[in-house]
Amino acid sequence: MEKLLLLNQLENQVERHLQQAIQKYQNLPDEILLKPSSSGGWSIAQCLEHLNTYGDYYLPLFEKGLVEGQDDLSIETIKSTWLGKLAIDSMNPEKGKKKFNAMKGHIPEVSLDAKAVVAEFINQQEQLLQILRTAKNKRIQQIKIPISIAKFLKLHLGDAIRFLIIHNERHIRQANRNL
Amino acid sequence: MLSDASHKLLFKQTVDGIYSLSEDDFDAFFELFKPFSAKRKEILTYNGAVEKNLYFIIDGLQRMYFSDENGREATILFSYSGNFGGVLDSMMNKTPSKFYYEALSPSIILRASFTQIEQLIETNPKIEILLRKGLISAFSGVLERLVELQCFSSEEKFRQLLKRSPHILQIVPHKYLANYIGIDASNFSKLINSVQI
Repeated sequence: MEKLLLLNQLENQVERHLQQAIQKYQNLPDEILLKPSSSGGWSIAQCLEHLNTYGDYYLPLFEKGLVEGQDDLSIETIKSTWLGKLAIDSMNPEKGKKKFNAMKGHIPEVSLDAKAVVAEFINQQEQLLQILRTAKNKRIQQIKIPISIAKFLKLHLGDAIRFLIIHNERHIRQANRNL
Repeated sequence: MLSDASHKLLFKQTVDGIYSLSEDDFDAFFELFKPFSAKRKEILTYNGAVEKNLYFIIDGLQRMYFSDENGREATILFSYSGNFGGVLDSMMNKTPSKFYYEALSPSIILRASFTQIEQLIETNPKIEILLRKGLISAFSGVLERLVELQCFSSEEKFRQLLKRSPHILQIVPHKYLANYIGIDASNFSKLINSVQI
């Protein structure tokens, strides 16, 4: 896909996630944010905390990759690698209904400072917006990002950003089922 | 999106509130303003750059803030629908701005080049009167804000903010409101609970 088209789509998706957090989550009382799902699953705060652990890992790597990356004067066409497609599709809430257990380092505690979790989620999404804007002028397929749960595997920055955002989408939907 | 006619209406309401112009003078002034959209967290004016434009806000919320060498921020003011905006001292003095001016939500804004406004003023003294009166009203706003900062409790500052913009809690991340009021972001939810809207 043409890079600017892709990055604009992703920017719009992050904007929607931010609007959900700003309009809804940050205005909810702690009782609602911390209430387990009706099936005993994660609360809204746990869903967001899970996402924050991914942001903690990926966002600094994205920023570092972009600082070190080459300027893009042409317009790149972004192609997913085989591994990238697998990672993205597995998290796509439209395609994969398969459930995964959260991996070590990404399992959220039950008792959380709910407001701080929401605030951190908002900070990270604002940071992600800036990353997407910087990426417009960089050759993002040359930037390689190790996968958090299997660091010997690498995605290019385009795939890694898509993976992170679709993973956000998946768990925001999960969080919204608690509303 | 709002149509051009509604842009003009909103602009006219604000201008009339400052200084009424004849229809011709108003049109000559309004013609200088062109619409654009700004995304969330898009910086309209950078610290160190000369402010080239006068802005008029159709929709969305923006803030002017100061950032020190340690990255600590002070949110000086917000601008809302129906306000003129921009870093006015930098614009008029043509000196580098000490502040950032950024969109905090997706925004629709009109902007006019200050050079063109100055050219219009040369042939049209009424525009200069409008500008002067507009600046006096901005100055009053700054003085009121100083009183708020020195005399008001956090709760009173928060109430004042809600009075100006009742939906602000659903439009921008609370950390910016906490910063404007001058409290730590982690104390903001206590403040909301104490004020009970």
